Amino acid sequence: MDELGSTALRSSPVALRGRIGQLRDRASGRHSPLRRLDWVLMGAVLALSVLGALLVWSATRQRLADAGADPNDFLKRHLLNLAIGLVLATGAMLLDYRLLRAYAPFVYLGSLVGLVAVLLVGSTINGAHSWIVLPAGFQLQPSEFAKVALIVGVAMILGEKRDSREGVRSTRPGDVDVIVVLTLTLVPIGLIMLQPDFGTVMVLVFVILGMLAVSGAPRRWVLGLLLGGVLFGAAILQFHLLKPYQEARLTSFVSADAASNSTTGYNVDQAKTAIANGGIFGRGLLHGQQTQGQFVPEQQTDFVFTVAGEELGFVGAGGVLAALGVVLWRALSIAKDSDDSFGALVGTGVVCWFAFQAFVNVGMTLGIMPVTGLPLPFVSYGGSAMFANMLAVGLLQNVRLRSRTDPYAL
Amino acid sequence: MNDGMRVRIVVLRVLAVSLLVTLGARLWVLQILDGDRYRKVAETNRVREVVSSAPRGMILDDQGEQLVRNRSSLVISVNRSTTDRQRDAGKAVFASLSSVIGMSVDDIEKKIRFCGPKIPQPCWNGSPYQPVPIAKDVSPAQALAIIEHPERFPGVTADLQAVREYPFGSLGSHELGYLAPVSQDQLDRQAADLKKQGKDPEATPGAYHLNSLVGVSGLESVYDSELRGVDGVEGLEVDRFGRVSGTASNSAPVPGDHLVLNLDRGVQATAEEALRSTLDKLPGGARARTASAVVLDVKTGGVVALASLPSYDPSVFVGGVSQQDYAALSDPANGIPLLSRAYQGSGAVGSTFKPVSTSVAMAKLGAKPNQNFDCAPTLQIGGQTFHNFEGSSAGPITLHRALVISCDVIFDKFAYDEWLRDGGLRNGKGPYPAPAENFVKMAEAMGFGARTGIDLPGETSGSIVDRDAAKANWEELKGSYCERAKNGYPDVRDPATAKRYQQYAAEACVDGYLYNAGAAAQFAIGQGQYLSISPLQLAAAYAAIANGGTLYEPQLAKAVVSPDGKVVKRFEPVVRNKLPVPPEVLAYIRDSLHGVTTEGGGTATGVFADWPNNVIPVGGKTGTAEVEGHEDTSWFASFAPVNDPRYAIVVSIPDSGTGATYAAPVAKAIYQAIFGVGRPAELPGGLPPSALPAVGRDASLAPAPADATGGAAVTPGPAAATPPPDGASPPAAGGARAVAPAALTTSPAAATDAAVGPTSPSAGPRAPPAGSAG
Repeated sequence: MDELGSTALRSSPVALRGRIGQLRDRASGRHSPLRRLDWVLMGAVLALSVLGALLVWSATRQRLADAGADPNDFLKRHLLNLAIGLVLATGAMLLDYRLLRAYAPFVYLGSLVGLVAVLLVGSTINGAHSWIVLPAGFQLQPSEFAKVALIVGVAMILGEKRDSREGVRSTRPGDVDVIVVLTLTLVPIGLIMLQPDFGTVMVLVFVILGMLAVSGAPRRWVLGLLLGGVLFGAAILQFHLLKPYQEARLTSFVSADAASNSTTGYNVDQAKTAIANGGIFGRGLLHGQQTQGQFVPEQQTDFVFTVAGEELGFVGAGGVLAALGVVLWRALSIAKDSDDSFGALVGTGVVCWFAFQAFVNVGMTLGIMPVTGLPLPFVSYGGSAMFANMLAVGLLQNVRLRSRTDPYAL
Repeated sequence: MNDGMRVRIVVLRVLAVSLLVTLGARLWVLQILDGDRYRKVAETNRVREVVSSAPRGMILDDQGEQLVRNRSSLVISVNRSTTDRQRDAGKAVFASLSSVIGMSVDDIEKKIRFCGPKIPQPCWNGSPYQPVPIAKDVSPAQALAIIEHPERFPGVTADLQAVREYPFGSLGSHELGYLAPVSQDQLDRQAADLKKQGKDPEATPGAYHLNSLVGVSGLESVYDSELRGVDGVEGLEVDRFGRVSGTASNSAPVPGDHLVLNLDRGVQATAEEALRSTLDKLPGGARARTASAVVLDVKTGGVVALASLPSYDPSVFVGGVSQQDYAALSDPANGIPLLSRAYQGSGAVGSTFKPVSTSVAMAKLGAKPNQNFDCAPTLQIGGQTFHNFEGSSAGPITLHRALVISCDVIFDKFAYDEWLRDGGLRNGKGPYPAPAENFVKMAEAMGFGARTGIDLPGETSGSIVDRDAAKANWEELKGSYCERAKNGYPDVRDPATAKRYQQYAAEACVDGYLYNAGAAAQFAIGQGQYLSISPLQLAAAYAAIANGGTLYEPQLAKAVVSPDGKVVKRFEPVVRNKLPVPPEVLAYIRDSLHGVTTEGGGTATGVFADWPNNVIPVGGKTGTAEVEGHEDTSWFASFAPVNDPRYAIVVSIPDSGTGATYAAPVAKAIYQAIFGVGRPAELPGGLPPSALPAVGRDASLAPAPADATGGAAVTPGPAAATPPPDGASPPAAGGARAVAPAALTTSPAAATDAAVGPTSPSAGPRAPPAGSAG
């Protein structure tokens, strides 16, 4: 990668050739933006989302019927969310790259407004004050959008330095940048903690850590933050700063005794039982006894993976993991091949986000992670999460479209 | 963008992949490696069992008559797992149901509520998924009202269920027994047993389930496992809220096997009727009167009839006996109808014991067939004077004649001399040689003092008391004797009787450990406190004398036959003992007993005056047992035909009079029925059927079990429309292999040995009714 700045880049022969190629392709239609999209990524995302729709349907159909509602209600909503999400993704993809960077502060501020609003007018669901209830049965979860906003904002700050600062010696974010980033991060984190939604806080912490580490920020910051995070977590548990149900969630996966005596333990037991019940090939969609018997709570959201485990078996659940792997892999490829640090950092942030959520979500259904209310990206039911995930995918595609590296160009 | 960043992104990629691989590995462990363990949890999570009981096998007599069968009853049930889900928890449905079956909504709700520590009956103690029976024996119109309007009665079913039916009412009730819901105790024990064998009680065929009916008395109890069959179990998949979503497994019920008896319905009915009419003729007509009769096949030990009055109709136990009914059946004022006098009661047998004493005299004490003994009017023993019956004297006579005219003194003398030889009271200075105790030993060899081994629960062993036992008894009871000697019997109303009892107690307190000379002498004529014998024991002993010396275990069961007519098990005769009496002595006794019904002066000659003696010679012995505080017990023990004995009959009628007056005519009536004397024979040719009878179709087995459990509409109508199958063909000779009747040894002998009523063993002349003795 050149270190001469963007001006030099535009005039380099290689870049020029690529530019010409792009123009030529655009003219001929062979390499239109549509064709240059990462279709593998898109395919994996769509596969996860459609499979998610089926799993949500299977998990909710009986419950809805019992309640006298339309059994396909959640299926329809999930597909509607998916459609809206695709529109949002398209929007995020087509946004002008430079405009995006310019708008980053507003995006960030907008997300803060949402987070404040939820504290004022939000509703409490499952112990967290995280939802703004809209008319027509829709709910908005501002913390989901805060993830996207923060990623864009932080990528702008950490990436901006790299691209615009003069001189060779200042290619990495300095202490000041890190402090600015941390300050910017602490505001939404603080607001989310007030809800409280520790799952999302953990996601943000993990995302920021990942982005700082990849950006090349001073090592002492990264290590210091890691250490601080560990100490903070230990302190929380040591001094019982969490509400009892939150603590139970965190500790039940460690201690089997605590597990069987708490509702959290019950949830995890039922989740593990459901997954194990699937065996290699599963019981067949809509035929999982644990699922159809409604033994697993919150199954269309936090525990949606258990439906895949029971009804589609190791093959299907493994397929979900593989598809997630594809998403992460392609996202990192986009980051790696990005022309600028901003794109690379956006990709990094999205991967950290998805990877952390996927690991925690699936891990808790398998009994190896504490129970936290984190959805499985694309699969779990939830409009805000779906929209945020799709926005992130749109951003990734946007980064790719603007990348110099083009498989078709050479 | 620099290469350092690129490297770090690659590191991040490795991290992300390893996270996913971790998840995949964990998924593999959970679904593949540990899958079975979790799947088992899932199973118990979601499967609830609904049991459909197997149709119970019938109990048939020797000629195939159905003594116990099943009948179809239209039963209306409420399925709580459905009604609980209704918005008003079933209130509306119960209201409609109430108008159809005429039971108040309140009563319906009481019947379906779950039993608990504070919930009184009626309540439901079965599984919540099992339909709760609300009304039995409803009319077809009522059932149709429900079947035809499923929309009005969601969760209510009307279907045919099999309930026990007793076509002959109280006939043989003590032998047939009855059913009761399985107790928690039995379930716990079964669970423990199966666990020990490493089996799952829920999944073991033939295991009891909650609400299973179990035979708790009589043959229903002894042959419960044969009769019960295997219940069908439907595994219902339920969700977290217990709502049924599907069927996981379904095993159809396997009907139980039928039990074919040696008992003959006709002979049993004759015996019961003859006893009943005799009791009706007795003066006083007290309700508490009891009587019993036993008919054995002397060649096999097969029980042809075993009658005891009062009896009861076992159908009072169908659907659960009421507290009131049960109290009435156990009330001594009614004669405790639940208790069979034939095998659960014992007492003094009087002169019917004399063949045993004759065996002792001739086999052990050297008495010769033609030797004469003095039948003096009285015999002095210590301070007591023993009289012959009504003080008669016959002078020197043979033992044959002593049996015919029933001379007491001759046998008293044998026993008294034996007592003297054994050392008398043995209250002087020892040491004494071991006593011979020939009379006690002969009685034990004849099967007295021990259970006969009949295939019925709760049999009494009676008692035979030798010198050691007398001492042991006294050690146990002397406290109460001495206390009674001091305090008397304030609970006895008649002052004279109370005083006499107190005197007995005083004597017993002092010298009760001594083997009493008078009681030892009276032993020989079947009296006194040293013996107590049940009618069944006496019949088994007479059967052994009649058949030449083989003591069989009496058996009611002849065979177990499967519903499709195959012989599952045939019960072969079980030899218990060989009498230690030479055949010629037994022949001498048989000839003497024949004289009792034929010779001049024979005690039963009058009764059998019109008997076709040349065709069916009867040998018998009358007995008149004295019972303190009661009229005599009338006994007649007999066998026939004398030339080739086939049957032994014993009749016992307490609180009546002499053996010839009451018991002998009953025995005669039974012989008439068996052989067809002056009436049609109950047993064709006067012989027990050698082949097994054809087993007819059980009336209730017509509807397929699936219909009953599926709640599908069942057309109420004649259920026995299906033609009976070929039935059991008699097994070819030697074809059906003998199976050792192991079931006999496993009979639950949770017997109270306490003799009851006037035939109490403690009611002998010298036995003081000590508090704990009765």
